[in-house]
Formats: sequence, structure tokens, C-alpha cells
Amino acid sequence: MDRGRLALSLIALAAALALPFVAGPFWTGLATQMYIFGLLALSVDLLLGHAGLFSLTHASFFAVSAYTVAILQVRYAVPTTLAAPAGILAGTLLAAVFGISVRTRGVYFILITIALGYVVWGVAHRWSSFTGGDNGVTNVPFPAIGGVGITSHTQYYYLVLAVILLCALGYRVLIRSPFGLGLRGIKASETRMQSLGYRTSAHLYAAFVLSGALASLAGVLYVYYNRFVNPVASSFPISVEAALMAIVGGSGTIIGPFLGAGVVLGLRNWVSSFFEMHHAIMGAVFIATVLWAPDGLVGIAARLRARFSRPKEPGP
Amino acid sequence: MAEALLSVRGIHTYYGDSYVLQGLSLEQRAGTIVAILGRNGMGKTTLIRSVAGLTPPREGEIHFKGASLRGRPPYAIAQSGIALVPQGRRIFRSLSVRENLLLPTSGLARPGKGRWNLRAVLDEFPQLEERIAHMGGSLSGGEQQMLAVGRALMSNPDLILMDEPSEGLAPKLVKHVGEIMKSMRDHGHAVLLVEQNFALAMSVADYIYVVSAGRFVFEGTPQQLEREPEILDQHLGVARAH
Repeated sequence: MDRGRLALSLIALAAALALPFVAGPFWTGLATQMYIFGLLALSVDLLLGHAGLFSLTHASFFAVSAYTVAILQVRYAVPTTLAAPAGILAGTLLAAVFGISVRTRGVYFILITIALGYVVWGVAHRWSSFTGGDNGVTNVPFPAIGGVGITSHTQYYYLVLAVILLCALGYRVLIRSPFGLGLRGIKASETRMQSLGYRTSAHLYAAFVLSGALASLAGVLYVYYNRFVNPVASSFPISVEAALMAIVGGSGTIIGPFLGAGVVLGLRNWVSSFFEMHHAIMGAVFIATVLWAPDGLVGIAARLRARFSRPKEPGP
Repeated sequence: MAEALLSVRGIHTYYGDSYVLQGLSLEQRAGTIVAILGRNGMGKTTLIRSVAGLTPPREGEIHFKGASLRGRPPYAIAQSGIALVPQGRRIFRSLSVRENLLLPTSGLARPGKGRWNLRAVLDEFPQLEERIAHMGGSLSGGEQQMLAVGRALMSNPDLILMDEPSEGLAPKLVKHVGEIMKSMRDHGHAVLLVEQNFALAMSVADYIYVVSAGRFVFEGTPQQLEREPEILDQHLGVARAH
């Protein structure tokens, strides 16, 4: 990492640490959501940005994990130390089943993931004796480990920040590993990778399950923040938004999905305060991204950087 | 005679609806260069794809190191020791030279053991070392060919399939490709070469097959092919050079 990027990272980290003191609870809450949905977008982007698979079912893992935690904590008084891992496990197991979708490619993969997502939404919505139907499961407590518990949204903000920093580091190791390189090879050409000895279907399946596990972790963070979960968490728009967050921020990068989550959530909260048709604004932002900035915010930053640094150091 | 490394027995391969390979048989021993010569559209690439498992034959058998390849997917065939240098190089343009070379060495691809590693390949192709951090797409045609061959070597294969390596290269580079293939043979790799370039195939091959409309119309050594003016004229369109 060069010095500029290191400095930028440290400034961003300092800003993230100082945020609850500088800004009020509204912005702290918005930032917490940005981290959580950024993590969901990052999980989607493991497939989209690295393997070239456009999944529209990630809300399923997110929601199944959130429901598992909520039901265990609220109805059975299971402690966080068991409920949170159980949530991740449940979401990941579902991903292991939904992973059969990697037998298809391109538009068929997109369609089958949409269909699978609707199955989960349907169950959450209609099986009301278990899921609470439209009301969902409410009164989820803050997480607690042993006698030590989170008592405020500010404390929870720091917990989420710590978790996503660890995830980002782990993700970085993963995409730089031979496994990550293999994914990028498959994105470029699956046939060529097979000729090099890669069992690409197994590789993609593993990526799908890992990605589902990450989405499940985001679901756990979400339910403890939101304090309730209802079928909206499993709905198609959540899956779409997660993918769009990754694209707006910069697909194939780590910071991109988080920036994208910030843009989407920020726009929604800010624009909706004075303009009713905020969804139209969001649509316009997505269209503009696809047309003029296909590499998202990260791509724009890279272009600006290249423009300003060119006079000083001619490229290699 | 030692058991053949590669043995193709009466294969019939269809490409979509078209009947491309109409009963081809060939044998190749370890550490030899066998060339398949023929004009465009005669089934040369389909033969390579049949061996690599990309378009499996509908009838007939392909044996490699004594085992049948029938029903084996491309990745399993690659893992058994066959590397492909595809037509038009087909390197990964969005990956760096280093990443291109390291792809086959991942444990996930189960590479063979042998003398080739990143160091050895860069020593063989010093030009690649200068470009190690560049994207594959930024390389010249000749460099891309070296990269494609280097990538194939990284898995330490017993057999390298080369599909039209001379395509799109300047004459000087074509000669270099010939040198590379001979060097591969000296290192003990067998090379199955598919070519339109008559001079290249004649200069490197130990044994030659001429394919026409999905059938072999000649097999023999380059010296024997020299003495077959009708084959040369009819199936290869080569005016006798000397």
C-alpha cells in the first residue's frame, strides 16, 4: 500500500472512530446501517465482482440468519453466544442448498436466484405461526456475552465497526489467495480455467456458500441493530439494493460496496425527507452509474487520481 | 515399442450438427512432437478439442497414459497431465503476467510435479520477467504466445496441445515458436501441434499426419511427406519448395 492510501485509510478510520462523538445519534445510526448493508453488498460482490455471478437471492441468507437469531433470542431466551452463531449457521446451510444454482450461468442463474429468493420471502410472509407473518419478530434484545452486554446504539456502532474491519481484512486475504485468483480466472473465462485443471463448478459452489455465510453475518448484525425482523428483510428489493450498492460503490473492490451502501442509504434518508418520489432519484443514480461510471465511485476516484498525478509521474 | 503416451482410436466428433472428425486414429510416444497439418476447416482444432475434452468424440476412444479419457471432464483431463495452448493464445487479459503463470500451480488445479516453476519459466522466457507485473492484455502477440506456453509448462504436463501457435505471428517469431517447441521436447514434454504453417511443422515434427475433411490422408515422417507431391499439392496447397 502506498503512503497516500495508507494516510487515507487512517483518516477514514479516525473519522469512523470519532463519528459518534462528532455527529448525533441519527448519523451514527445511519453509519451503522451503512456498515451492515455494506457487508451484505460485499457478500454479493464476492460473486458479482470476482466470479461474475449476479445473485439476487442474498436477502434470503440475510433474513434467515436474522430470523434465526430473533426467534432463538426472543422466544427461547437463547443467549447471544449461541443465537448469533446459530444464525450464521442457518443462513450458510441455506446457501449450501441454494448453491445448486451455480449449475446455471448468466440469465438463468439470475432467474433461479430470484425464484429462490421469493420462496424464502413467501415462507417468511405466510408461515405466520412461526415467523410472525407481516409483523415479524419484535423485541430482539441487544447482544450480550456472559454478563457483559451492549446497552446503547453507540456501543453497538463500535461493535459493528470492529466486525466489518475484521471481515474486510479476511476478505482481502481471501481474494488475494489462490482461491480468489481462481475466481477471477473463472470470471474471465470458465472454459479456459477448466483446461487449466480447475473444477470450476466446485470452485463457484464454494464461493457461493462463503458469500452466503458473509450475508448471514450481515443478517446477525442487522437484527441486533434493528431490534426486530419482518419479511421485508428477505424481500427481492433488498437483494437488488445489495447488488446495486456494490455496483454504485465499485464492484470488485472492498471499500466500494460500503461506499455504495452509504450513497444508497444516505440518499434514501436525506432525499425522502423533502421529496416523496425518492425511489425515482435512486433509479436515476443507478442509471447514471451504469452509463457513465461503470466502475462506480472507486472507478471515478481512480480516474481523478490518474488525471492529477499524470503530470508528476508519467506512467510505466 | 513402448506404450504410446497418447492413443486416439477411430474417433468421430461432431461440432454442433456438423460431422467434423470422421474416424481419426493416431499414436504419439512420450517426448515427441507430432504435427497435424491441414487447411482451414479440416478438423484440426476439433481434434485438439476432442483430446482436451472440450468437444468429446461421439464414437471411438482416446487413451492417455494407458487410461481412457471417455466421459472425463476437461478439468480432469488437464489434471491427468495434458496442457492446452489454445488458438489465438487466449491468455487472461485482465490478469497480470505473474497471475497468468501462477493460475495452473494452485493446489486447486492439481498440477504435476517437475522442473517447471515460476523461476524456471521466467529463465526460459526472460522477456516475460520484464513484463511480470503487466496485464496480459498489454502484451504483444509474441509475448502472449510465450505466456501461453509458459502457462502450459507451469503444470508440468506430459503432453502439450498447441493449436496454431504460428497464427498472427511475424515470420521471425514463428521460427522462435519452433525453437520453443524443440526445447519443450528436449525437456521431455510431448507436443501435439496443429498447424497450417507447413514450414514450421516440417521443421519441428518427428511425425506428421495430414488431415483433410475429417480424415487422415497421410501419416509419416517429414522426409516421407516431402516425397508425396500429390498430398502436398492436393491437401496442403504447397508448391514444392525445394
